[in-house]
Amino acid sequence: MAGGSSINVLEQFELHPVLGGLGEALRFSQSPLYMIAAVCLVLAFLYFGMRPAAVVPGRLQAAAEVCYEFIHNMAVDTIGPEGAAFFPFIFTLFFFILAGNYIGLLPFSFTFTSHIAVTFAMAFMVFLLTVVVSLKVQGLRFFAHFMPDGASPFLAPLLIPIEILSFLSRPVSLSIRLFANMVAGHVMFDIFASFVIMLAGFGVVGDVFAIGPIAINVALMALELLVGVLQAYVFAILTCIYLREAVAH
Amino acid sequence: MGVITKTVRAGLLATVCGVSLLAVSAPGAYATGMPQLDFANPLVTGQVMWGAIIFFIFYLVLSKAMLPGVARVLHDRSQRITGDLDVARSAKQDADKAVAELQQARKDAMAEAQAHLQKVLDEEHRAAEQQMQEINARLASEIAEAEKNVAAEKARALSALKEIAADTTQALVQRLTGVVPDAQLVARNVESASAQRSI
Amino acid sequence: MREEKSDSFDARLKSAERRYGLVKEEKPPVDAGIEADRSLAALAFRAGTEMLAGLIVGVGIGWGLDHWLHTRALFLVIFALLGGSAGVLNVWRLVRTMDVK
Repeated sequence: MAGGSSINVLEQFELHPVLGGLGEALRFSQSPLYMIAAVCLVLAFLYFGMRPAAVVPGRLQAAAEVCYEFIHNMAVDTIGPEGAAFFPFIFTLFFFILAGNYIGLLPFSFTFTSHIAVTFAMAFMVFLLTVVVSLKVQGLRFFAHFMPDGASPFLAPLLIPIEILSFLSRPVSLSIRLFANMVAGHVMFDIFASFVIMLAGFGVVGDVFAIGPIAINVALMALELLVGVLQAYVFAILTCIYLREAVAH
Repeated sequence: MGVITKTVRAGLLATVCGVSLLAVSAPGAYATGMPQLDFANPLVTGQVMWGAIIFFIFYLVLSKAMLPGVARVLHDRSQRITGDLDVARSAKQDADKAVAELQQARKDAMAEAQAHLQKVLDEEHRAAEQQMQEINARLASEIAEAEKNVAAEKARALSALKEIAADTTQALVQRLTGVVPDAQLVARNVESASAQRSI
Repeated sequence: MREEKSDSFDARLKSAERRYGLVKEEKPPVDAGIEADRSLAALAFRAGTEMLAGLIVGVGIGWGLDHWLHTRALFLVIFALLGGSAGVLNVWRLVRTMDVK
């Protein structure tokens, strides 16, 4: 039973090629499909929201504007005046992750942010961007950051590798955080859902007791809605913080 | 110092919790064969490629088409609101100025009216006084003339009275005595009698 | 009466200007701390990921160097220790920023 249910729990993360052989040849699984769906959702939201372009906004337009201003304020407040240049990137990142998290909450759907390969690719992209920006803005002074201020030179051979590893661990921790949150949420959904199915097998008594796990799943759904936006926010704001360090002279 | 020990203790606690949590879950997940960690599967690495393409397209569409549109709408609105607020503020200032001007004008008008009224009253007063004086003068002269007339009349009446008295006396004396008295004597007597009575 | 009315107009104009950010107000700068997840569980989770990230990077680099230089677990041990230290450093930084907040 334990083995069976644990396989069930992880089954949802398995990738299957779509469009048969063509998908297999192009390595096109349902994951990119859901990415496209998420992107289309966000673009449709923005397109239909902003189509009236009214001075007095309707509800959808107001929502789109709130999204814009929220990310814009985050970028500019955190990074500083240079943040405006990175705003489209932060916006893309935030809404890609948010839409991925939320689209995965729909029943029978797939969460591409629950794949470490995807989250790490995004985190690594952020990491590369910060390194490139740092080198461009600070030049070789960037490497001076790896020597902590006021540390004794004898400790340098120990401290510098630690600082470098700490710097390199940023994309890893960034990706693991998002990945683990998403996986944990979906595994819990499945566990409680499997309880419901298990209890349903016991007849009327089971049906009555199945209300418990169902209620927990409803609560979990609320929690996951929160976690979904929170993790997207954490990812975006950490990107902003890293970029602030990069543009600081 | 206390803050640092507290920080270190919290950090250690958090680390212990986190590491034990992950140490319990991570190998378990790996042992059960998480599909996400199966990097031999071409589909797992394929999502990175597709993800990069999709993300890039998403970025391009957002940064070139969508976000400038939103920015334009927001900019227009803020421009409009700024303009409207400017208009409102200047209208308010104009209104305040107009009110102040109006009040000033009212005050000026009131002062002017007051001054004018005072002048008119003074003039009126003076004119009335002059008229009064004229009237008084005329009255005085009329009174004087009347007194003169009265005095003349009186004098005339008195002189006539003497004559009448003389005539009456003469007639009385004649009737009583039968002689015609001397007119001169009678006249003298009447004169003295009237002087005695101070008529 | 009229005075009162003009006062309220002033107030409304002011509030409208403030609402649209025309009046510059001093705003405390948003800083590194992420207020949202500050519960102990969330902190433990974050600390764990930071720690684990340091370890993964250290072990990865050590393993790669061993593989490349055909040494047996020498670099793996060194870099695992360094990576663990980096993880501790990460956690310390995390907790410090949270504490300062």
